[in-house]
Amino acid sequence: MSLIGARRSPAACASLFALAVSVSMHAGDCPSSTVNPQAAQRRLDELGKNAQVEMAQHRFTEAVRDFKEAACLSSRDPRIFYALGSSEAAAGDFMSARKALATADHLQPGNPLPLVMLARVNVSMGDVDSLKATLSEAAVRFAANSDLHAALAHFLLQNKLFDLALAEALRSQKAGGATPQSTMDLAILENNVGAYTDAIRNAMAIEGQTNLPVAVRASAAGVAGLSYESAGQPEPAISRLRAAIQLDPSQENSYLALAFLLDKAHRYAEAVEVLEQGRAKLPQSTPLLLPLGSDLILSERYAAGIDVLKELLRKMPNEYDAYIKLADAFRKTGASIQEVKILHELGSRNPDYPGIHLLLARATLNLDPVDYTKTLDELALAEKRSPLEAEIFYLRGRAYLATNHSEEAVAALRRAIELGPMDPGPYYQLARLYEKLGQKEMARNTFARMRYLKSNAAQ
Amino acid sequence: MTRRDVLRSGAAAFLSPLAGASEPQNLSYPLREIQGSLTPSDLFFVRDHFSEPTLSLESWQLRIEGRIARPHQVSFSDLLELPTKKLEAVLECSGNSPHGSAASNAQWEGVPISFLLEPAEIGRDAAFVAFEGVDTGRLVQGPAALPYTQIVPLEKCLDSASLVAFKLNDLFLPRRNGFPARALFPGWYAMDSVKWLRRIVVLGRDDRHSSFIESGMDRVYNRITTAADGIETKRLSSIQVKSAIAWPPDKMRLAAGLCEIWGFAWTGTGTVREVAVSSDGGRTWEPASFTPSPGPYRWVRWNYKWSASAGDYSLMSRATDSQGNQQPLQRSTARKDGYELNWCAPLTCSVR
Repeated sequence: MSLIGARRSPAACASLFALAVSVSMHAGDCPSSTVNPQAAQRRLDELGKNAQVEMAQHRFTEAVRDFKEAACLSSRDPRIFYALGSSEAAAGDFMSARKALATADHLQPGNPLPLVMLARVNVSMGDVDSLKATLSEAAVRFAANSDLHAALAHFLLQNKLFDLALAEALRSQKAGGATPQSTMDLAILENNVGAYTDAIRNAMAIEGQTNLPVAVRASAAGVAGLSYESAGQPEPAISRLRAAIQLDPSQENSYLALAFLLDKAHRYAEAVEVLEQGRAKLPQSTPLLLPLGSDLILSERYAAGIDVLKELLRKMPNEYDAYIKLADAFRKTGASIQEVKILHELGSRNPDYPGIHLLLARATLNLDPVDYTKTLDELALAEKRSPLEAEIFYLRGRAYLATNHSEEAVAALRRAIELGPMDPGPYYQLARLYEKLGQKEMARNTFARMRYLKSNAAQ
Repeated sequence: MTRRDVLRSGAAAFLSPLAGASEPQNLSYPLREIQGSLTPSDLFFVRDHFSEPTLSLESWQLRIEGRIARPHQVSFSDLLELPTKKLEAVLECSGNSPHGSAASNAQWEGVPISFLLEPAEIGRDAAFVAFEGVDTGRLVQGPAALPYTQIVPLEKCLDSASLVAFKLNDLFLPRRNGFPARALFPGWYAMDSVKWLRRIVVLGRDDRHSSFIESGMDRVYNRITTAADGIETKRLSSIQVKSAIAWPPDKMRLAAGLCEIWGFAWTGTGTVREVAVSSDGGRTWEPASFTPSPGPYRWVRWNYKWSASAGDYSLMSRATDSQGNQQPLQRSTARKDGYELNWCAPLTCSVR
């Protein structure tokens, strides 16, 4: 047994001590009475029945009142204190619930239920220190109770207390009574914390159990795939995710994860194949459409990619990233008018989309002929959002240069250089401008600086 | 669930391209890649002595023994369910070069070592604590591989900031940074913050710890200075005050105009009080501004706006801490070791 399991922080010790003495405090709260034992038993039965009905009807305050009276009549019955604590917790009186549950635990230390309920109350209160103390207590007293630790792990996982869920899942595993559910929980948590070897071992143990439902085995294969990927082993990762799809073709996540891994390996055509397979199985799925459209474009199947992304936007017009992918496809196919149009549509749907005006300004520069007034308008809007973005001034310089506004162009390009002094691009444009203005010395110096900066990269 | 959600769930992921590496790793990344003041986990430096072990959470145990009344073992579940402490601290390799990037600053979480030692009743004769990792090898010729071991004074171990750490920047430790748990001694050079921790042994003043001695670990990480009466040897401990220029890199070519020089400064004693920058090889100094406000153990990010005209320059930075320690302008000629390289080494740049 671990010494540490028994040890608690001084604060936790103090709070447990305070809770343990609550037996006498409850006794002190009771009115003095001289009821004979038979009458007391009749009253207890009556209170028990009433309270049960009240709990079922969610009349928690009344149930608390009845359980309190019962506790006064039978101050050594752990079941009454457990019920009182549960009803107080249901009524939202967590402090009182803790006292009653600690009393129940004190009266019947061999029963884990009060500690489980105490853990739940501590979670409801967001009191992590007390929760840790309760879990440590359970670890010491019920080290071999695998089911208890598995149930705690599952509960903590549902409440997104991942670290403590992991602690309890490990305790359950150590106690030796692992179930497929608890092993899956553990594998997921181990994958999340970076214990990839453990996660792979546990997940593959589940995947290999042919008596389990295919959905469970497929999930396990998926977890193993993600762990392999995280451990830097892409081939077994891809293989496990293919197995997940084969086991249960109805799990959308498997297609998404596998396509992502294939994307990372620049195997876009294979990613398309996987996502199309998913789409055939799950024709109503919209999450598959964005990666499919994107991968079609990366595979240079522009027309198909554009169709998929348009379909996605018909179904989910607020899928903003799809507009960007679509604009990219239009740019790559030389459809500059459509590129500008789709970015405008994005801007009207989400005026706060990051960098939208800069994207629009860039796109307008690809039009033939270029409407420089519109470009400059977009750049003015972009500057309002991001006044220190060097590219805004670089593009503004180019626009002024093209429209023979030399003075404005010089100012804009100088500002671009100020904001991004290591980027050779603005120096080049500025040098060209000086050349055009006949300022040969300035042009020569600026060209020299551009070449000088470029040589950093060559070094 | 979107693809992004699916990938986020596999999250911790993608940080560790070298997972599975069997050779000792020696990795660091340019300081200029750090945005803000925390080093991201995937840019945190790595200096291994021996091959990185692969550990199982399910079987990992930390044994605590030696001069204590109640030796015991701690499982990973126990660590997670004990009260923890979070703090921001720099770790620096003691052999990090003057502008080197073997220094990183992160948010750590772990259990104070004192929480593990004190309830076990530390013996009155205890003076030091040995920390052993799972990684094994040796620095000198010998028959068997021995666990990586460092010995730290008990007083430092009982400092509330000294941890058995299991999280870095709110995520569990990456394997290469000591998963599942490592020692952490804020303010001290990194070799004592033993990774892949498996055993803590409380020692008396004259106790010999075999793996420390026989592996040759006692012969490294010592400050060796020539003194009037011979050679003095002292074990390294506190990080010496230091600053590093992250930008521009050495031999950079810059265009004339307003340039930003920036970097980081840290100390193991007190807090950083000021950072100054020189562009003329240390003849004149200008104060740099820094963020966030200085605190113990963590570094500050400093920056200096430099109006550069054409010419060749020698850039230097110099930090001073709240204890009055200041970076020396040169390496002391009395030093005969290769550690604590905190002098103000210049970088060159040319401006056109």
